[in-house]
Amino acid sequence: MRSTWTGGTALTADSEQLALAVHESRDGAFERLVARFETSLFNYANRLLQSPLDAQEVVQDAFVRAHHALTSQYDGRRVRELALKPWLFRIARNLSLNRRRGHNHDLERPLSEFDDGRIGPLVPAISVTGIVEAREERDALERAIESLPDDARELIVLRFMEEMSYQEIAKCTGQTESALRGRVFRSLKLLRAALSEGEAQSCNAETC
Amino acid sequence: MQCRNVLTHIDAMRTDEIDSQDRDRIRQHLDDCPSCEESVTDLEGFAALARSLRHSPSESLAERVCSSVLDSYDSFDLDGDRVWVAFSSAGLRMVDIAAADESDFRERYRKRFGRELRRAPIPENCRKSVEAAMLGLPIGLDAIDFSGLTEFERDVLTTIRKIPRGEVRPYAWVARAVRRPRAIRAVGNVMANNPMPFVLPCHRVVPSSGGVGNYAFGPDRKRRVLRSEGAPIELLDSLAREGVRFVGSATTRIYCFPSCRDARRIREENRVPFRSAEDAARKGFRACLRCMPETASA
Ligand SMILES: [Zn+2]
Ligand SMILES: [Zn+2]
Repeated sequence: MRSTWTGGTALTADSEQLALAVHESRDGAFERLVARFETSLFNYANRLLQSPLDAQEVVQDAFVRAHHALTSQYDGRRVRELALKPWLFRIARNLSLNRRRGHNHDLERPLSEFDDGRIGPLVPAISVTGIVEAREERDALERAIESLPDDARELIVLRFMEEMSYQEIAKCTGQTESALRGRVFRSLKLLRAALSEGEAQSCNAETC
Repeated sequence: MQCRNVLTHIDAMRTDEIDSQDRDRIRQHLDDCPSCEESVTDLEGFAALARSLRHSPSESLAERVCSSVLDSYDSFDLDGDRVWVAFSSAGLRMVDIAAADESDFRERYRKRFGRELRRAPIPENCRKSVEAAMLGLPIGLDAIDFSGLTEFERDVLTTIRKIPRGEVRPYAWVARAVRRPRAIRAVGNVMANNPMPFVLPCHRVVPSSGGVGNYAFGPDRKRRVLRSEGAPIELLDSLAREGVRFVGSATTRIYCFPSCRDARRIREENRVPFRSAEDAARKGFRACLRCMPETASA
């Protein structure tokens, strides 16, 4: 599975080039930036806010701010030193958090210690092709992700959907890499718990 | 190594974000611990699946973002010219007939405004405004996006809109009109960098000493545009040769710029030439309220 992972350093040099191109107002640079990150940022914001409308606004705002910073605020040196991907995610994160405050949610709350005393499997044994075909299982996973606490859901998104390295996630969320390892682990365990809870509920509903 | 400790590291190990010492110890543990080994498999399965769970934005998002941040450009042919137009949602930003191609126009725009352009079809009202402007017709201010220009540039560029079609005014007149009578050279710079020729009629601004002066598209083009608008180019040339800058009427005792509509109505036998506004005033002539020639006597 390692070969499918696209995070890490492979895209970093490319991203730096892109940030610089936007800084210099090169032809099509900003459009390339938007094309590359719009799905990532939208998925992230939508997973944080669980509202597609709010997420669209956050992403639009994030791109506008990023463009302004890259073209009007930052000098060339700062742009060259910028880790573009986590920087963009951080902008979207802050905007999402601001929006959340109005809704009385708090992403900054520490992840509640979760330990059921078992170390067992992190995720249910689901075959990759199986879940894609099996809509029900996929929906179950989707519901389980939705039910996670904000901070656990955020890490699942950044680490597994957006394939960010621990270093990048650290830059985005402001946590240390070693703390993040523990948090990712606990997030996975929470996800597993949410999945088995969902399973139990659907069994009850079907009177099994 | 404890199972729990191992499990907090297997995800980082999955993507090679772990030092070799830890990796060796974890591998050792996994060889002996089926439960942890199973977790590794599950984790890889989940990681492979997770990306397909991403939510996608609506198709219009990128378009909305780009159109809110970037200015757009388009081009069209008009009377033998390829007209390049940059515009924002607030209106026209740049007009050019000298760009060699798309990238040349983008480069000119970048130099002028430090901003990137994207190709997009020009809105009908923008196109109509440019077409009208190139026929010498006045364009409403609401069709123009002045953002990115200095206050002085704005003042100068909105002032020259008041010069009627078929007439010209000296740089000094513009400088006076914006209450910066000494800033004649600065007015010249604004004219030279006018982002919207035709729309903001810098071709109607000429040197006090006569002649048509400089123009972004060359003096010949300037003459052609002025002539097409009905400005009395030949008359202005011959008056300039004689050092005549103003023309008065012996009957009304009012003096004008020679291209002023009122001046051109003066009959040949009543026409009184002046070399300066002071000269006219000394001989008891009043300045025309329409073309305000006294403002040019710097
Ligand atoms: Zn173990
Ligand atoms: Zn007059």
